[in-house]
Amino acid sequence: MTSLWTRLEPLLPRVEKPARYIGCEDGANTDIYKPDATSWLLTYPDTYEIGLPNQGLQILYELLNERQDAFAERSYAPWTDMEAQMRSNDLPLFSVDTHRPAAEFDILAFNLSAELVYTNVLNCIDLAGLAVRASERHDADPLIGAGGHCAYNPEPLADFIDFFVMGDGEEVIAEITTTVGEWRKSGKPSGSRENVLRALAQIAGVYVPSMYEATYDGAKLTGVQPKHPDVPTNVQKRTVADLADWPYPRNQLVPLTEVVHDRLNVEIFRGCTRGCRFCQAGMITRPVRERPASQVREMISKGLERTGYDEVSLTSLSTADFSNIEEVVTDTIEEPGTCGRVSVALPSLRVDAFTVGVAAQVSRARRTGLTFAPEAGSWRMRQIINKLITEEDLYEAVRSAYSQGWHRMKLYFLTGLPSEMDEDTLAIADLAENCVAIGQQYTKKASVTVSLGGFVPKPHTPFQWFGQNEPAELRRKVDLLRERLRRNKRVHLKWHSPEASTAEGITSRGDRRIGPVIEHVWRQGGTFQEWSEHFDLRLWEEAMSASKLDIEWYVDRHRDENEVLPWDHIHAGLHKDFLWQDWQDALAGFGLEDCRWTPCYDCGACTEYGIEHVVASPVPPNGGSQGTGQDLTTGHVVPVDLRPRAAVRGT
Amino acid sequence: MGKVRFVGHRDVARIVERGLRRCGVPITYSEGFSPRARMSFGLALPTCYESEAEYLDVPLDPDSIVDGQIACTGWGQGKLHNPQQMQAALSEALPTGFDVVALTVEPKGGRSLQETVVSCGWKFDILGAVTQEVEEAIERALASSEIETERKKKNELVRENIRYGVYDLRMDGESERGPIVVAELSAKPRVIRPSELVDVLAPGAEMGIARRTHQWIEHDGQRQEPLTLSKSLQLKEYS
Repeated sequence: MTSLWTRLEPLLPRVEKPARYIGCEDGANTDIYKPDATSWLLTYPDTYEIGLPNQGLQILYELLNERQDAFAERSYAPWTDMEAQMRSNDLPLFSVDTHRPAAEFDILAFNLSAELVYTNVLNCIDLAGLAVRASERHDADPLIGAGGHCAYNPEPLADFIDFFVMGDGEEVIAEITTTVGEWRKSGKPSGSRENVLRALAQIAGVYVPSMYEATYDGAKLTGVQPKHPDVPTNVQKRTVADLADWPYPRNQLVPLTEVVHDRLNVEIFRGCTRGCRFCQAGMITRPVRERPASQVREMISKGLERTGYDEVSLTSLSTADFSNIEEVVTDTIEEPGTCGRVSVALPSLRVDAFTVGVAAQVSRARRTGLTFAPEAGSWRMRQIINKLITEEDLYEAVRSAYSQGWHRMKLYFLTGLPSEMDEDTLAIADLAENCVAIGQQYTKKASVTVSLGGFVPKPHTPFQWFGQNEPAELRRKVDLLRERLRRNKRVHLKWHSPEASTAEGITSRGDRRIGPVIEHVWRQGGTFQEWSEHFDLRLWEEAMSASKLDIEWYVDRHRDENEVLPWDHIHAGLHKDFLWQDWQDALAGFGLEDCRWTPCYDCGACTEYGIEHVVASPVPPNGGSQGTGQDLTTGHVVPVDLRPRAAVRGT
Repeated sequence: MGKVRFVGHRDVARIVERGLRRCGVPITYSEGFSPRARMSFGLALPTCYESEAEYLDVPLDPDSIVDGQIACTGWGQGKLHNPQQMQAALSEALPTGFDVVALTVEPKGGRSLQETVVSCGWKFDILGAVTQEVEEAIERALASSEIETERKKKNELVRENIRYGVYDLRMDGESERGPIVVAELSAKPRVIRPSELVDVLAPGAEMGIARRTHQWIEHDGQRQEPLTLSKSLQLKEYS
């Protein structure tokens, strides 16, 4: 086992935030030495601060290290100053746990949480001292794996990644470990790489792109077919049936330097069936699997005691939908070990007054920000995206928040949604101004921050056929809102770069021909494309034209029902005809209810795999919510009195 | 000491706060919208420096002190620790590389460890420098009335004679990286850092590992350290 520490140490005083590279976290693996085990380097292709808290990576890290036949270490993309030091001192990518060189591991496994990190993936492979193209790597080189949400369209990275994993990783890592372990024991002789890849391709949930061939008819993709009879035509995602069997991470890593989400994170459920049509996470992670409330409580109290954190986040795609949310929150606040000083973060809150009540309960220790995501300004638009928040829900939530002492809140919106008209975009301003008007009845300081993102259609969603708005159009919509809100000092508008949305569009629905584009951008120095100071659309435009590819064709074009999509051979359970029907329903403005509490409409996520929702409560949580059991004919009606009521303040 | 020397002082404060909570030290909190644990460090230790002499004041809930013992709360509820036990528990709760080597309970309104530090003791090595040459440079510096250094201050290069603040400067053998220098440098009106001396002692060379060994305060006209370690105490070394 080689440690690069003595070579790394002298470089650290020369870089920003050197604690990113030292490891030493509580919960880290530094003394497990298993010479005969399959070794995994779990790599997050963004900075340490972004990557460390990633729960998926931490779960796999712990599971692998519990095994006798495997061990795992971690690596993160070095920041540009460190990369320069590493390249000029001939230092390869290393693990932060024991500072071993990446190339000494059997598997380099990347977490793909966002498309704009793809160039960082190439950079990490290159820094490891390996050829970025899978076809140019040697027999005994580490296998490069990837998983995470973006893996559901693996094609843009097909040239670079040896194998992808679809879905939950908890179970499949055991099978991969065994298969790779046999290859390891064989000594990885000449010609063996092809065999181990072929064996991996037969594991359910594993996709080996080199075992498939993409065919085209001109610009049109005609299919992605297996090259061998024993390689499956379709790759099915993996799903763990019951989260209760997986109380991980048991020992969440506690970093020595501040990271994002620097707190205890406890996953309370996985999956979401709200059915928001733009949301890839809500489609590919179905069905809903709640963790038993007793296990959540135990993970919270043990975790807080072990880490010393005074904040816990109850993570999921829609936290207020957890059957026992009120009880769990109350028990957490009343946990004696915290001396009443714990704060509970509730990410992804539903928009209603019940939710605010829960939030108010948890903010006794420290008042954190309140964020709602109506996602669209007009009721018509929210019906199209199936985010069925009535104005009544929103205004009651906002009133509840201001009346309980909040002064400001953040509202998330998307623009560039299907069939969006300028009046829909401008309705965002109306909503925000109405929220401020309600707030001013309670506090002079009332303000609202509107955060506006350009919509990028994602694979495996009903909007996968939709042509994305061009950057100029997105820019025009942003300007429309800016102009409309220019005089309102109480509404602050923030927006994401429309140019970055274009690059995201290229990579999210691209096919194998996008591989050389990613490589071109990387070779031109285009790393850290998620970071506005490093993002450069010109690099992507040049790369597309160097490959003679048309941005409009990949990004802005509407697809039709019969088009072969690059990810058609990857299955998340969802029937393609269900998604198409939901797309047609969207355009017609028909809503779809949450199937947790209403009859199954057979999207495929449960029926295809013989699994079911695991939900403790047969009825939706109190307080009404996004369409469930509500009269949806009046969603646009504003039932609250928006006139100032000066006397109400202080109630 | 060891790898954790690369952690910045703000992060160190966060680490210590978590450690205090893990053992249920009855700490107190600031008032207001976003209450923070009350504690104060002395002079910030520069990132990348080791130290065996960092001091921390933590105001405790006065009701938790019973006959000089500390009644723990929270995750330590039910435990009554004397200072030695508290020291051991806190050391255990901190990451590798952090050790609590002395701990005392002072009465409320009593002396603070944060009385003005007048100077710091340092030990550092110089990468690849020639021992003989460093030795000669030290002799020259001490014999002179001027030790001219350069440092960056808001993107401006400031030249300064720091002879006034160099109280002690001598060789202390060699490490595998280069000659080891021991120094006592003024902390008033500003902290003089060992890195400023490296260019004087070995022009163009880089500092290896620097360690703060002492923080000196003046108390009743006496130069002393805020806390003294028992003679038998051995500092752990980390790599």
